[in-house]
Amino acid sequence: MHTLKINNLSKRYSNGVQALKNVSLEIPTGLFGLLGPNGAGKSTLMRILSTLQDADEGSVTFGHLNVLTQKKELRKIIGYLPQSFGLYPKISAEVLLNHLAVLKGWTNKKQRKAIVATLLDKTNLYQDRRKKLGGFSGGMRQRFGIAQALLTNPKLLIVDEPTAGLDPTERNRFHNLLSELAEDTVIILSTHIVEDVKELCTNMAIINQGQVLLQDNPRNAIEQLQGKIYQKEIHKDELADYKEQYVVIAEKLFLGKPIIHILSDHAPQNGFTPIAADLENVYFSQIFGK
Amino acid sequence: MWYEIFKFELTYRSKRWDTYAYFLILFLYGLIAVDFLFGTHLNTVNSNAPYLIALTMAVVSALFTMITSMIMGVAALRDFDHKMESLMFINPISKLDYLLGRFLGSFVILLFIFGGLMLGLFLGNYMPWRAETSPLDFQVWAYMQPFLFIVLPNLFFGGALFFVGGALSRKLLVVYTQGIVFLTFYLFTLQLSQSADNNFLAGVLDPFCYQTIKVLVKYWTVDIRNVQLIPIVGVVFYNRLLWIALGFLTLVIGYWGFSFNVVRTNRIDNFSRRLIFKRPLKSSIQKINLQKITFTSPTKLNWQAKLIQLQYHSLFYFKSILKEIPFWAIIICATAIIFINSINLGTSFGVNSYPLTYIIVEELQEMTVFFFLMIVVFYSGELVWKERDTNIDALYDSSPIADSINLIAKYFGLLLTYATLLIAIIIAGIAFQTSQGYYHYELDVYFVGFFLSTFVFLALFTALAFFFQTIVNHKFIGHLLIVTFFFLGIISLEILGIDHGLYTFGSGYLGAYSDMNGYGHFLASYGWLTAYWAAFSILLLIIAILFAQRGVETEFKQRWQSSKLRLTKPLIKVGLDALLLFIGLGCFIFYNTNILNRFAYPSTQNSYRAAYEKTLKKYENTPQPKIINVNLKVELYPSERNYVATGYFMLKNESTQPIHKIYVQKKPDDDLDLASVDFSRKAIKDATYEKFGFYSYQLNEPLSIDDSLKMEFKQTYFTKGFTENIDTKIVYNGTFFDNFELPTFGYNPYIELDDEKERIENGLLPKTTTAKRQDSKAVKEHRSGMDSKRINFEIILGTAADQIAIAPGQLQKEWTEHNRHYFHYKMAQPMINFYPIVSAKYQVFNKEWTPQFDSLQHPINLEIYYQKGHEYNLDRMMSSMEKSFDYFTENFGIYPYRQMRIVETPRYLDRAQSFPSMVTYAESMGFIMDIDDTEDVDMPFFITAHELAHQWWGLQVPAANVQGRKMILESLAQYSALMVLKKHYPKEKVQQLLAFERERYLEGNAVDIKHKLPLALEDNQSYVYYSKGALNLYALQEYISEDSVNLALKRFIQDWNIFDGPLQTNRYATTEDLLGYFRAVTPDSMQYVISDLFEKMILFDNKITAGSYEQLVNNQYKVNLKLAANKYEINSLGTETSIDINDWIEIGVYAQDTTETDQLVYTQKHKITSQITDIEILVNQAPSKVGISPFDILIDKNSEDDLIKIEKRIH
Repeated sequence: MHTLKINNLSKRYSNGVQALKNVSLEIPTGLFGLLGPNGAGKSTLMRILSTLQDADEGSVTFGHLNVLTQKKELRKIIGYLPQSFGLYPKISAEVLLNHLAVLKGWTNKKQRKAIVATLLDKTNLYQDRRKKLGGFSGGMRQRFGIAQALLTNPKLLIVDEPTAGLDPTERNRFHNLLSELAEDTVIILSTHIVEDVKELCTNMAIINQGQVLLQDNPRNAIEQLQGKIYQKEIHKDELADYKEQYVVIAEKLFLGKPIIHILSDHAPQNGFTPIAADLENVYFSQIFGK
Repeated sequence: MWYEIFKFELTYRSKRWDTYAYFLILFLYGLIAVDFLFGTHLNTVNSNAPYLIALTMAVVSALFTMITSMIMGVAALRDFDHKMESLMFINPISKLDYLLGRFLGSFVILLFIFGGLMLGLFLGNYMPWRAETSPLDFQVWAYMQPFLFIVLPNLFFGGALFFVGGALSRKLLVVYTQGIVFLTFYLFTLQLSQSADNNFLAGVLDPFCYQTIKVLVKYWTVDIRNVQLIPIVGVVFYNRLLWIALGFLTLVIGYWGFSFNVVRTNRIDNFSRRLIFKRPLKSSIQKINLQKITFTSPTKLNWQAKLIQLQYHSLFYFKSILKEIPFWAIIICATAIIFINSINLGTSFGVNSYPLTYIIVEELQEMTVFFFLMIVVFYSGELVWKERDTNIDALYDSSPIADSINLIAKYFGLLLTYATLLIAIIIAGIAFQTSQGYYHYELDVYFVGFFLSTFVFLALFTALAFFFQTIVNHKFIGHLLIVTFFFLGIISLEILGIDHGLYTFGSGYLGAYSDMNGYGHFLASYGWLTAYWAAFSILLLIIAILFAQRGVETEFKQRWQSSKLRLTKPLIKVGLDALLLFIGLGCFIFYNTNILNRFAYPSTQNSYRAAYEKTLKKYENTPQPKIINVNLKVELYPSERNYVATGYFMLKNESTQPIHKIYVQKKPDDDLDLASVDFSRKAIKDATYEKFGFYSYQLNEPLSIDDSLKMEFKQTYFTKGFTENIDTKIVYNGTFFDNFELPTFGYNPYIELDDEKERIENGLLPKTTTAKRQDSKAVKEHRSGMDSKRINFEIILGTAADQIAIAPGQLQKEWTEHNRHYFHYKMAQPMINFYPIVSAKYQVFNKEWTPQFDSLQHPINLEIYYQKGHEYNLDRMMSSMEKSFDYFTENFGIYPYRQMRIVETPRYLDRAQSFPSMVTYAESMGFIMDIDDTEDVDMPFFITAHELAHQWWGLQVPAANVQGRKMILESLAQYSALMVLKKHYPKEKVQQLLAFERERYLEGNAVDIKHKLPLALEDNQSYVYYSKGALNLYALQEYISEDSVNLALKRFIQDWNIFDGPLQTNRYATTEDLLGYFRAVTPDSMQYVISDLFEKMILFDNKITAGSYEQLVNNQYKVNLKLAANKYEINSLGTETSIDINDWIEIGVYAQDTTETDQLVYTQKHKITSQITDIEILVNQAPSKVGISPFDILIDKNSEDDLIKIEKRIH
């Protein structure tokens, strides 16, 4: 089995934005969650991994392949589901998938038909295969996206924010699909939804402003925070003071009242109660806790 | 609120650089537009004449419709394109505000952009190339006025159309398609305007007002053209009104149809969805068994797999275009063109041709070239951007497909589209031919014309378009670049005269197709040049593949870097092969065009000719001997395109002094070699001026007066390799050249530059116009036989075994030797020194003609040599030969030769020409005319009669090389042919022909302002000697009778013929002589007519202002008319002055016969002495109409009011 190794990867856009800064990651087989807020550089990284963008510095290898230069070879074994993509509205799912299958090298008609049917079935689109893509719902589109990503029978599957905008049922369905695939594939899932990672991923990294803040497995990461998270219900106008005094990593509403979570190595007293750490705390502590 | 949107639109556009790019393009175009568009047709109209400015503005607003569509089309479409519509439409704005704001905002920007044109046009006046002409005083209003009345409404309608199209369809492609449909409509009006009857209609319908202005100024004189602004009246007014109204209508429809919803209900979609759901899904029946399928990676991509990918994708893109409605709109437009065009299959003689395949192909190619250019531009843009426009590019780009396959598949997909379109056009062409009752479909001609020529052109340009699209990586700029390249890189090089096939993209030229010669030798140079550019296009495509955006990196630097990774071995191999091929072919072409042959730009050729004149003009007046005998043997090798001519000239000193030096002038042509020249007495050759082919021979013993000597010579012509020149003298089938190919004596003025501008550029004075009739030197020359008065002629012609070679003279012998076909001709009588040599595979149609009372004691052989398949008009031509000979021999004099041959020649020289006992007749002239006897004048009959008349006028009586020469040659031939026509056809046909000539005359008279001259002093102006000549000589015989005119002509020919004419001694006849014969047969009362017709320029404007009749008794009716007659004289500057009238004018009264058609029942000339005249006429049938000058004898400026209906007067 291959491992994806990312070494000191940097990318700066011509408008000056540093999208990635010395990113180093090692990603084994299984589902890997790439967690980060909007604009963290996740999509840039995903695009570099899927050969669509060039890095300024650093190296990426997948098995013996150099991802940055051996694009052609890599494309044969990757699957990519972009964050957003369009589909020809006037043709059916079956026709377009068939078309993309040729693109990916399925030139034998019989084999192609079989794989297209299989993938449509696997992604639960077989019923709708004659439907024009213009009429597809968001969930169907994402499932179609994963179907096309699987056409290469990928060793490396890159899915960029696949669950954004999906309803819970669709999201579940999608998660099942991914975890089924994770057995023998490197899957990188970028998301800003902590739940996705919690439910699916055996490994994860948190990335913000182009930098990797943490790479760990979720359980371990949560373990590290155990006993350091406290919460308190406060008044709206007290928030600023608390922010000054404590490392506030989250502010939410519970029944309309603001609740804050803080990170603290020792018990802060002052009405704070300790709570069990979860992945969300890990995420926010990485983003806001430093 | 609309104002806010308007303001936003202005700010948005004014911040975009493309707005300024468009402005700049129009500005730059404006600088050169007048010269570029009208440069060669200007004569003495100033480049800044107001009507020219208006015309330029009209035509530029048509040419740049693309900019209009880009600006206006996207105005409402932008929100959909950028997926902004939800954000936009949710705002509390009304539909009206939104649309109005957007429209007006964009329209103001559009006006600003076209303001660049106005600015460019008036700064164009100060450009260096305008220095020589003195522009008129500059007037701002002359630019503002047409901008307001021409450009603004044009843009308004176009803008409204594209705006609404974009808003309603929400698709850019629909906007472009509208452009194409719009253009088709424009072409339709162009076609319409070619026939005079539809002028007004075409003028009103032309959406750009271009034809409209032309219709309006048609008869304007130069003076008026130079100063008069285009008045917004009449046809222009109606046109503007129509298109502004249609613009508003379009906007109203747009407002109505525009939906402010983001998602539209689409009936068709709903319908198809329902259909799909009704279909039972098979999934339940054949549930896929997943376990059975081995789920592996796809097969390794070997070349076969790649080929399948390529094929599949090409078809995918092809189908995706086929599915779009715009494509079908294009197909419909392109195929409809042929049916629109059927209005004008016409020839310049006002009759139609048979719809021969090559005519259809050429018409279609001409009509569709801009279509195809648009299709290339837009569809290559659409396809290159297809994935990115749908945002599906990430899926494509991350797939393992090779970089090349995607682009090449798009390229092939587009080629398939072109092929479909071309096949559709071919089918339309065949359908059109069938509809005309013509069933000889030449599929090979269709194929070669469309696939070898048009398709190749498209394939090359598409490669170029792909290259631009991928390199600049911006769709619209790509569009603009390719169009700019097309105009600047190709057309302008040609206009500037600095093009060479090696650097003019896609330069192969297939030449004109001839039924006789096919594509002949053009095919070779076309093939090589096309292969050369094809190799180049492959390189372009490879570069495009290397730099095409894949992924999200758009910057050129990044693409440059990744291009190195894409340079795979196969790509390198193909690239190198293409490069080698490109270089190799380039060398080969260069070797052919520049080393084997000499390559010269037009400017080099011009300076050569100028140098000839400067160096050798001094010899012009040195007396030279004249040719009296010609004896030649010419071996033609049509398949090699070579010939060898050997033989001798007998030269005689006809001057008044001994000749010491003979100047032999070889025709300046690199392929031509004057291998040897030997005189029968000793002569020393001086080759100082060899570069001009001008050799001087100093005779040891001078040639004394009336003495003669023999010059033997050998001349060879060898075609080497190929050139880009279009030389068609000796071709595979249809060789045709004349004796100007052979050596001449003395300075040859034919080599001089004629064009005034070119002469000035080369430091020469403009050529003086034709010599005056008093010029004592010029009256001693006649042009057709420069080196001789008359010759004895004998020739042996050898040619390919399957061809017939023809020259004047009686066939002495015909034989085959060494698999070659030989012909020996000898002319028993002397003839002028003017003879053709023709050779082709001919069919022969012959007949004998015997003159009345067998006055010649021998019959004359009438022969027509024609191309197989061109049998249509043989009988008409033969009958014309017989009838012409009948008439001419009876009325003018004998025909001196034993035979008359009409010989068909290829259409490279599109004319009929008369030689002694021979008429060469281009295949496109009379052979393929489709004469409908109910509607058309029998033009093959008429043209044949005209050419035969030259056997008298020109070949028996040469005219002196002075003003009025062509009146003797051409006007008399026109008259003679008219008389034959009159004798054998109903009067209506003659009248129809005269009306046609009158129209040609008035048009020519309006356009030509160089020098206005009366017929007898004409200076090589075809509208004068052909059209006015026909009209006025016809009028003359109406006034003084046909017999009198013929008597005058008979005397003229007796006195002036070259054989035994007593007056034809040391000078040739002029019109002064001719008019003397006319005067002698004209009664005193009519003498004024001679002067009016031939020595003055007279125009009439007559009309019948009122008319009625009453019945006197049974079968007796009295007609009362009021006549308004105006007579004008035009002076040499073109100014018309009204003069007193004192003329015999013919009045005709018509009555209806039993079939209710009008028949003339009364024609009589009435003496009209005042401008308003009342006339009473008695007739014996109930009159229906009265007409003034019913046979168009008088040249009337406005003939529409010459005929009126009259009614019974009620007491």
